[in-house]
Amino acid sequence: MKQRYVLRVNGRDLEAEAGAHESLLDVLRERLRLTGSKKGCNEAECGSCTVLLDGRPVVSCLVLVPDAADRDVVTIEALAEEGVPHPIQRQMVEQGGVQCGYCTPGMIMSAYALLRDNPDPTDEEIRFAISGNICRCTGYGKIVKAVRAAALEMKEQSGNGGAAS
Amino acid sequence: MSEDPSTETAEETQAPYHWIGKNVTKPDALEKALGATEYVGDMVVPGMLHGKILWADTPHAVIKRIETEEAARVPGVHAVLTSKDVPGSNRFGLAVPDQCALAEEKVRSVGDAVALVAAEDEEAAEEAASKIKVHIEHLRPILTYADALDPDAPKIHEGGNVFQHTTVRKGDLDKGVRESAVIVENAYHTHRMDHVPMEPEAGLAYVDPSGVLNILVGTQYPYRDRRQIAPALGLPMNKVRVIQAPIGGGFGRKDDITAEIHVGLLALKTRRPVRLVYTREESLVANTKRHPMAMNFRTGASADGRLTFLDGDIYGDTGAGVSLGAYVIKKAGIHATGPYDVPNIRVDTYTLYTNNLTSGAMRGFGVMQAAVAHESQMDQLAHKLGMSPLEFRLKNCLKPGLASSTGQLMNEGCGIEATLQRIKDYMSARELRFNRPEAASSDS
Amino acid sequence: MAIRKGLGIGSMYYGIGYGFSRADIGSAEIEMAEDGTTTVYSGACDMGQGVMTVVTQVAAEELGIEPDQIRVVAADTGSTPDAGPTSGSRATFVQGVAVQNAAAELREQILDMASRMLECPKENLAVRRGQVCEIESGHEMVSVGKVAHQLHFHGRRAAAWGWHDNTTADVDPETSQGDAYATYGWATQLAEVEVDTETGRVRLTKLVSATDAGKAINPVAVEGQIEGGATMGLGYGLYEQHILEGGIPRTNSLAFYLVPTAMDVPDIECEIVEVPDPRGPFGAKGVAEPATIPTTPAILNAIHDAIGIRITETPITPERVFFAIQEARIRGEFEED
Repeated sequence: MKQRYVLRVNGRDLEAEAGAHESLLDVLRERLRLTGSKKGCNEAECGSCTVLLDGRPVVSCLVLVPDAADRDVVTIEALAEEGVPHPIQRQMVEQGGVQCGYCTPGMIMSAYALLRDNPDPTDEEIRFAISGNICRCTGYGKIVKAVRAAALEMKEQSGNGGAAS
Repeated sequence: MSEDPSTETAEETQAPYHWIGKNVTKPDALEKALGATEYVGDMVVPGMLHGKILWADTPHAVIKRIETEEAARVPGVHAVLTSKDVPGSNRFGLAVPDQCALAEEKVRSVGDAVALVAAEDEEAAEEAASKIKVHIEHLRPILTYADALDPDAPKIHEGGNVFQHTTVRKGDLDKGVRESAVIVENAYHTHRMDHVPMEPEAGLAYVDPSGVLNILVGTQYPYRDRRQIAPALGLPMNKVRVIQAPIGGGFGRKDDITAEIHVGLLALKTRRPVRLVYTREESLVANTKRHPMAMNFRTGASADGRLTFLDGDIYGDTGAGVSLGAYVIKKAGIHATGPYDVPNIRVDTYTLYTNNLTSGAMRGFGVMQAAVAHESQMDQLAHKLGMSPLEFRLKNCLKPGLASSTGQLMNEGCGIEATLQRIKDYMSARELRFNRPEAASSDS
Repeated sequence: MAIRKGLGIGSMYYGIGYGFSRADIGSAEIEMAEDGTTTVYSGACDMGQGVMTVVTQVAAEELGIEPDQIRVVAADTGSTPDAGPTSGSRATFVQGVAVQNAAAELREQILDMASRMLECPKENLAVRRGQVCEIESGHEMVSVGKVAHQLHFHGRRAAAWGWHDNTTADVDPETSQGDAYATYGWATQLAEVEVDTETGRVRLTKLVSATDAGKAINPVAVEGQIEGGATMGLGYGLYEQHILEGGIPRTNSLAFYLVPTAMDVPDIECEIVEVPDPRGPFGAKGVAEPATIPTTPAILNAIHDAIGIRITETPITPERVFFAIQEARIRGEFEED
């Protein structure tokens, strides 16, 4: 039995037909064609599908679509503004935090939520924030480095009156 | 060989390179960070069907009959296929073609695919797969090294359960034993490991207007895929095109066939594009793993701290298919000494079929297991001799002019001494010391 | 205090590529457009580790152009030649040379044509930063793109083919004696662990990886391989086990099959060792597997250093260590605090 849901995704109201048993991840990927959020396990273990729901990072494979209706959803696709990559995205590239790339969007969403709440995290805090995101390629070191570099870049930007998220 | 390798390194770095040694940014990284990269599971093409595999749920059985009629009646289903529907050899395998794309008379592991479904959506495909009835007769499963070595045990394949036996022989083992002041003997057991590529296996196939079967797949080797897909599906090679899609991790898993033949068959039969994406559970259960191995090693050293001999047996569980197992286990045997000068060697390796999951290539390829044994042996010998494990390795490591276990003469590209020296320098710069043996304090 | 620290090392050597008679061939085609931008058709699959970047840097270096002028078309039986698999730590070592050969061949064609165009002896010319230069003065004479265009007018393709065969003979069937591999990778790691003697839990607190890259073509990518490899090695040693009962997997979910997270991995210290290998491109060789193999042995030896107990079975689960300690206690062999 399909129903019509309105999802506020990346600042826009989008309608999707879905069954009440379907996950937010499936609706994002299959109905709304937002495939940046990846399906690595579909059992809330790998973090590849991490999005923000009302500002909090969640594994979207574990959120049923009725529970996401009329709430704010932010996906990886919204992070770059007018084609300019977010500092976390740029630093992930520059520091070598991206290899196969499959965990990368979810990883970046977790880091994004962290830096918004804690602009100056310790390495331990970064590791804790991304500990729900499994990466099989990098060993995490360069990801931690990228988040640290992004934090610095964002701090400098806001210090210069720039718009840090 | 008395040259300090770090001098060479310094000279090398001064070479007038423009781009070698520079951190040029990876061309694919930004797109991945933006979430814009489309892996196979992200791709959609018009008219695309969804594939689903019915896996065996028992490790060893004779297939009596497969009923597909009820499954075919599920609305939205376009094809329900078994081995009878495969137009080619239905076989694949990297060392020998001992695996069936779809199980024929027998099931040899729970990773065997029995039937395939293509349907309008994943739910219909799943429902249909659940309605396929497979009538089987259980056989006694072969699950242990001992079972596989028992000549009276049921044979998984016609040729018997010992697929390969290799031997490494060098020098005079008895002489090596006689010259030993210390001998260490142990049995090591290593376990089965999954690659866990973050992207579960997936493929997308379509037949283009010129009749070419195109397969997009996260693979490590499209040409060898084609060499396997074409005969399995009865196609000439120039009618098969394999395109590497962005790959979410491989680590050796995607060196072998994953979704290619299944998704190709579904596209051929339905004449529609078909996407087949594994669940994580399927990824964990099907396709290749890292070989579990049992290794019995006896190693000796002389009173002055020189390795004298290695006497070893390695048993590798390759599961129901050899895949690359014969090479993995042969490689384990060749590397059983580790990077050291060992004059007298007897090593035997056995590649064993079992009804466990098929094992194949995985990062480390047999040496991962062998190193667990040879490095444990090295430390125990050093301990018995009262030597630092570092000094013991430095004393025995291969150097230009010395020969490996296969008699291969080492030359200028031999870097083990340099890596040991680097660790030694690291430890002494930070005054790090081993707790035992006490003699280790002479390190720095 | 139930925590004991220990240090251990693990070393390894690893035959690079296929070895023992298995065909181990790389090949690539390189083509220059009339604006000097260049496409490399390389059959090697990039899995994110960076072989496309290696191919780009090797081609740029050998050809004398900038990396951003190069595009790599990779791994498609419909458009790229067969480069063999990306496995066996062979992609850089084998395909790197094939690409280097292709780029060198194209550079020679460019210089031949430029020599005719400029009426200047070829030996006085070189390609630098996309320009044909006079070696002596460094003076830029003509862009490579213009030369490539001239090749077209002379009935030639500004394209070249490169090939490299790394295949070795098989070892003797009875003794395995012979040159099994073209070359070997080398690595040593130092691990520091903390063992909780009450629970048997082992934590890796430090890892130093000295890995011989021959020549690091892209140091960040090499570090990526070293750090990722050691992490997979750590998973093998301490956490990951595919458990089968009666041939049926019990670890059929990532809830049961445990992959290391960012909290399980220490900062891995990369010591890139460079002992140039004349058979690799610019002395380079693969590191993916050499960087993975020593971790578990180093952890096993560090555990022995910490508690005096030799674990001979992997993975090194808390249960296994706990029971090994209890058994040693029963035998009166455990060194109590």
